[in-house]
Amino acid sequence: MKTTAAWLLFICKACGLIYDESKGDEDSGLAAGTRFADIPEDWACPLCGVTKADFEPYVEETVQRARRPVTGGDTVRAKRAAGTVIVGAGRAGWQMAQALRAQDATMPITLVTSCNGDVYDKPLLSVAMARGIALDKLPREKGAVAAQRLNIKLLAHTEAIRITPSSRQLRTSRGTLRYQHLVLAHGAQARSLPQFPSALCWRINHLQAYAKFCRALGEIKQRVAIVGAGLIGCELANDLALAGHSVTLMDVADRPLAATLQATQSQQLLDAWKALPLTFIGGAGVKQIQAAGLRGEKHITLEGGQTWVVDQIVLAMGLQTPNQLAASAGLAWNNGIDVDAETLATSVAGIHALGDCIAINGKVSRYIEPIGRQAKTVAATILSQARVPYASTRVPLRIKTSSLPFTV
Amino acid sequence: MEVLERPLTDSPQDLDVIKAVRELAAGPLAELADDIDRRGIYPKSILHRLGELGALKAHMAEPGRPADYGLAIAAMAEVSRVCGATGFMVWCHDVCGVYMEQSGNPALMGQALSDHANGQTLGATGMSNPMKTFAGIETFLLHAKKVDGGYLVNGTLPWVSNLGPDHYFGAVADIAVDGVVTNEIMFLIRCDAPGVALRDCPSFSAMEGTNTWAVRLTDYFVGAKEIIADPVRPFIGRIRAAFILLQTGMGLGVAQGAIDSMWSVERQLGHVNEFLDDRPDDLQAELDELTARIMQLAKTPFGTNKQFIIDVLDARAHASELALRAAQSALLHQGARGYLMTSEVQRRVRESHFVAIVTPAVKHLRKEIARLSAEELPA
Repeated sequence: MKTTAAWLLFICKACGLIYDESKGDEDSGLAAGTRFADIPEDWACPLCGVTKADFEPYVEETVQRARRPVTGGDTVRAKRAAGTVIVGAGRAGWQMAQALRAQDATMPITLVTSCNGDVYDKPLLSVAMARGIALDKLPREKGAVAAQRLNIKLLAHTEAIRITPSSRQLRTSRGTLRYQHLVLAHGAQARSLPQFPSALCWRINHLQAYAKFCRALGEIKQRVAIVGAGLIGCELANDLALAGHSVTLMDVADRPLAATLQATQSQQLLDAWKALPLTFIGGAGVKQIQAAGLRGEKHITLEGGQTWVVDQIVLAMGLQTPNQLAASAGLAWNNGIDVDAETLATSVAGIHALGDCIAINGKVSRYIEPIGRQAKTVAATILSQARVPYASTRVPLRIKTSSLPFTV
Repeated sequence: MEVLERPLTDSPQDLDVIKAVRELAAGPLAELADDIDRRGIYPKSILHRLGELGALKAHMAEPGRPADYGLAIAAMAEVSRVCGATGFMVWCHDVCGVYMEQSGNPALMGQALSDHANGQTLGATGMSNPMKTFAGIETFLLHAKKVDGGYLVNGTLPWVSNLGPDHYFGAVADIAVDGVVTNEIMFLIRCDAPGVALRDCPSFSAMEGTNTWAVRLTDYFVGAKEIIADPVRPFIGRIRAAFILLQTGMGLGVAQGAIDSMWSVERQLGHVNEFLDDRPDDLQAELDELTARIMQLAKTPFGTNKQFIIDVLDARAHASELALRAAQSALLHQGARGYLMTSEVQRRVRESHFVAIVTPAVKHLRKEIARLSAEELPA
């Protein structure tokens, strides 16, 4: 037996077993140090049973893990038909799906939403009572029907949890979706502060919350406090008072719509409200809200110490954009998801955003009109069409306080 | 076995622990893994050795050394990379240490905890049933009634892993007064105590070597020395993130083992494997990113903030999903040789299934994330 030469390795071509001359193979009677050449020809692979002839010399080589030795792999591997994933089924989400489908009949589109996906007009929520629109008439189209019409996949009642941009995956509570393009259209939420427990205060920013609120109101006239006398607060107060509820509208400012109207206009609005069961309390900072009484009454204590007893409390202190999803992807943030003013691209490749969740140069715009134009801009980018630059324009704002509407 | 290019933790002392665990895993454990899987051999000596190496106590502070959940997870990952069943037993033991350490009960701390931390005694966890009960999925299987100086507990837990005649584990029983459940207690069950019977279980895929038994308690006495928590719910709320975070070590390790197997055939089979989805470099990049995220979460293992808990649940789910994908892909990469019963590759497929179904399973994690994410509205 030659012992001077280095021990060699031989690999079974069938199963990959490696015969190591230094170790031999005790189970088949080959002592350590048996050269491959000295193995009888009728010897069989101890693992899979093929013969000695099916072995070939094997040289151990460390594979460089950072790069695969076979080139061309990336080009050979077909891109998965991941398509576009849209998060949010408000107007922005549906408009986005529509704009893409209008231009591309085959692209896979998945819409992920925590709600049921029904299509409705959110501005109606603050005027529905006075106009006598029944709850079941608010959705224009069932989510499932719209999804079928647009040939998209709707994942309703699904939470978008996290984005991993490096592998282009959106993690959701119903599994992980791959995307080629991701569009964030998840909107904003009603702003809250620690003194407003969510179990006691309504935040009405979507149809499901509005529907639950209406059911809580029921047929009986109730005492409702609305905290925040901006656009939504004033419209809702107006609507609820017209429906006969006793409304107390509170704001830290000393007049309603202080940020939008001139003092004389605010006064005109207050005058118009005189005929309604609606009281405005200015300079009212809320200190504490507590549940009290067996009938689910709530106590609101103001900074000044006054206490109000009401049946329902609605928060209307403006909106804020949730940032968890954007933060998980490392998206630039500036009052909202920071997007390019012309392309609405976020700071991370493959991710776009539109609607209430975006901010352009730090400015949010939470109106209906721009959304359709934004969807066209994003669709053009996704479909690699000629650019459709988005232009922020000031649109007239209609304040739907039906007792005295304003356009500013 | 090839080594990771990137160190898992920062301090040299940590690296020593990982290096020692890696050597144990690549040597004696790798040799035993097939026996653990197919012959149901319980790797007791490996577990003791892991204790000696300091791999079972990294998440518990000692004088002069702060707790390091990241290191505990990394050590568990190194074990799971070679043998998922042993990795699971490391978790069982680690989390039992959390119960003892966080109990505040002097009888479960001090020398008892020190022996446990160093792997001289071995512990486990029977918390699947209570965890599912708290999530509204099951009802309590153990029932306690108050007696002089403690409680008598009756009932059967269907399967508890990492047990032996001299082992112990944490469990929960409800306490009914006049037929109405008023409270729960969490306590340590010592397998050698009167009233404890270990009974055979059916065979388990990939987990045959984990010494898994059904445990029947008949008037088992729980005294002050065995109490881990009373009341239980706030305690569980406090250790919840730690419990789940530690489990990620299993998923990370099984995924890494699968990636290792893909690389091992790259030279011979790369020319055909390039047509597969989920190639090892892609999976490694995803695994590295997830590992970094988990190491970040592991810095605050007792966080209770809602968003933090969602992040922890999602990281655990991601580790399971990645282990599933990687194990599946490794089998496709290896082809027939990975399909042999002796191959670690097909064993790992079964291990990855276990990681995904052990409580909290992927479906439980997602349900809990959905519950926590839902907007709260007035009733």
